[in-house]
Amino acid sequence: MSEPKTILIIDDDPDFVAAISHLLETCGHRVRSAPDGRKGYELAQAILPDLVLLDVMMTERTEGFFTLERIRRTPALKHVPVIVVSSIYAEYPSFRVNPDAGWLPADLFLAKPTDPQRLIDEVTRLLAAPPVSGSVAS
Amino acid sequence: MSRPAESTAPARIFVIDDDDVMLLSCRRILERDGYAVETFDNGHEGLTRLETVKPQLILVDLKMPELDGLQVIQRIRGLDPDLVIAVITGYATIATAVDAMKAGAYDFLPKPFTPDELRLVVTRGCERWRLANDSKRLRHEKEAAERRIVTFLTHQLKSPLAAAKQYLDVLAFTSGTELPPKAAEWIARSQARLEEMLILIDDWLTLANVERGAVSHREASTELPAVISQVAQAAAPHAERSRVTVTTSVDPGIPPVCGDAGSVATVISNLVINGIKYNHPSGEVTLRAAREGEMARVDVTDNGIGIPEESLPRIFEEFYRVGNGAARDVPGSGLGLAICRRIVEELGGSIEAASTLGSGSTFTVRLPLATRTGSQRAA
Repeated sequence: MSEPKTILIIDDDPDFVAAISHLLETCGHRVRSAPDGRKGYELAQAILPDLVLLDVMMTERTEGFFTLERIRRTPALKHVPVIVVSSIYAEYPSFRVNPDAGWLPADLFLAKPTDPQRLIDEVTRLLAAPPVSGSVAS
Repeated sequence: MSRPAESTAPARIFVIDDDDVMLLSCRRILERDGYAVETFDNGHEGLTRLETVKPQLILVDLKMPELDGLQVIQRIRGLDPDLVIAVITGYATIATAVDAMKAGAYDFLPKPFTPDELRLVVTRGCERWRLANDSKRLRHEKEAAERRIVTFLTHQLKSPLAAAKQYLDVLAFTSGTELPPKAAEWIARSQARLEEMLILIDDWLTLANVERGAVSHREASTELPAVISQVAQAAAPHAERSRVTVTTSVDPGIPPVCGDAGSVATVISNLVINGIKYNHPSGEVTLRAAREGEMARVDVTDNGIGIPEESLPRIFEEFYRVGNGAARDVPGSGLGLAICRRIVEELGGSIEAASTLGSGSTFTVRLPLATRTGSQRAA
């Protein structure tokens, strides 16, 4: 198992948070969570997580998108990998939202419910990825 | 005969005629019946007034100096195609009537006319206006209701199901081996049942989105070979579980097709998944794609259980499911093929099925090539 990392889950569904926290903790990671975009962003600034799991459909329909924008505009956070997890993306998320289009700079989109093996593989991959140039500063 | 008194505000009528006597008598007759009447002795004035007030009915004399009636009608239609126009004329020939109707008039009142003849035309015209407005309002209400249902399905139904399934997925993944066999088995069954329901909701949402025109972007274009390889890749786990082989044979030179990649992928994916689901272990699904004139043709062929002849005409209907023995046991929403048909039609293509019970089916999708639309737009 890789060295423990801190993962922040920003999601208003306490059941999803509980299930995914348990899964990630089983893999040896530290998990923190926040129930909305504002608290999530504040917590992210305070703890500087190694990875963020973000739900796009929180109280306000587009709340997650704004949170993602704020994370990407914050120098200390902008290189943190973000996985957007949502029930609005069905089987072909890559077709519906093109991350290269630049308007939604998430590293990955996963549909809810998420396949545990897939989530762990992706988390491991993103945590192991060498930091993008310039991210060492923080 | 119904009076305009049903609605709170009186129905407003414009009369455009160069004959003052005519205007005065129309006003007198109609005001007595409770209409709000405005009269104009030339087309220009009437058209100017139309920019601020929209009447239920406009009566236009065909023969006027300066701007004649046909020109007035054409300009009114240009201003607002929903306005109802009736024509008044002293030259009641078939030819003038046809010209007026062609220009967009709804009714025709030959001079001289009696007060009752005028009332009849005005009542009919107002009724026509009311029906057009009612259907517009109903359409808007229906669309709003559909949007509410879509939101409801996503939030209120899908989220709790997703959360419940997420618990079971994580539980089975982290503690699967420690669970008593019965618990493990029942968790697996619950996962499968929840999955079915989530698929049903997704299909329902997709169909609702397609019907709103929100899914298929006709003006977009898609590289078919890339979509097909992604669909085949995404279907691989299903195929492996069912021990069905999926092979693709794609002409790499197919020009891009009309439609966004998401819609095209949804269609092909539904057909491939069906080919896997309604099949036997060690069955095969073949995906072929090639150009066919100004269309791209995609064939999804399986050697599975097939479709009975009597069911074939109905398989693209919503919620229709084949009732024969083997197909009945396969879970499905009954919406997959309806979604395919709606998307394909939206993109200007076609879909058809051929099948022999017991030996398999072929679904053929034809999509217009994007180049064609491009050249049309350029022309």
